[in-house]
Amino acid sequence: MDLENQQRVKDAAEKYGPENVVVVLGSSDAEGAEIYAETVTKGDPTFAGPLAGVPLGLAVYHIFEEEIRQEADPAKWEEQIAMMEMVLDPDALAQAVKRMREEGSKYTL
Amino acid sequence: MGKLEGKKLLLLGERDGVAGPAMEEVLRDSGAEIVFSATECFV
Repeated sequence: MDLENQQRVKDAAEKYGPENVVVVLGSSDAEGAEIYAETVTKGDPTFAGPLAGVPLGLAVYHIFEEEIRQEADPAKWEEQIAMMEMVLDPDALAQAVKRMREEGSKYTL
Repeated sequence: MGKLEGKKLLLLGERDGVAGPAMEEVLRDSGAEIVFSATECFV
């Protein structure tokens, strides 16, 4: 995750309280999704950014996970996301983020 | 009341996956506040 976005995540968690913040990922590959999820739960695994050594434990989901999907507007989902859902591997992405959430999140929906 | 009601959303999209603005569109009426939305790309 780029350093600017790490800082924005950190600032939002401080401002609103980590229990109120939910991170939603749109990553295209499972490995990348896992690294993002790790960054906002256990801290930056590359130790390069503002979240290095900062285990925020935020609730993190992939957009394709059922918990998020059921909150989305179905018509807009068809229009904006359904095509990418066919191209990508939604199950693998959802599993990758779920696994990291179970390991590192202190909060869930 | 939806699960996201009252939550603060941080949307981290990806250019080759689902981009930030697309996630904003579908979650705009979820009852959560979108704090920021970003789209990263890996080149």
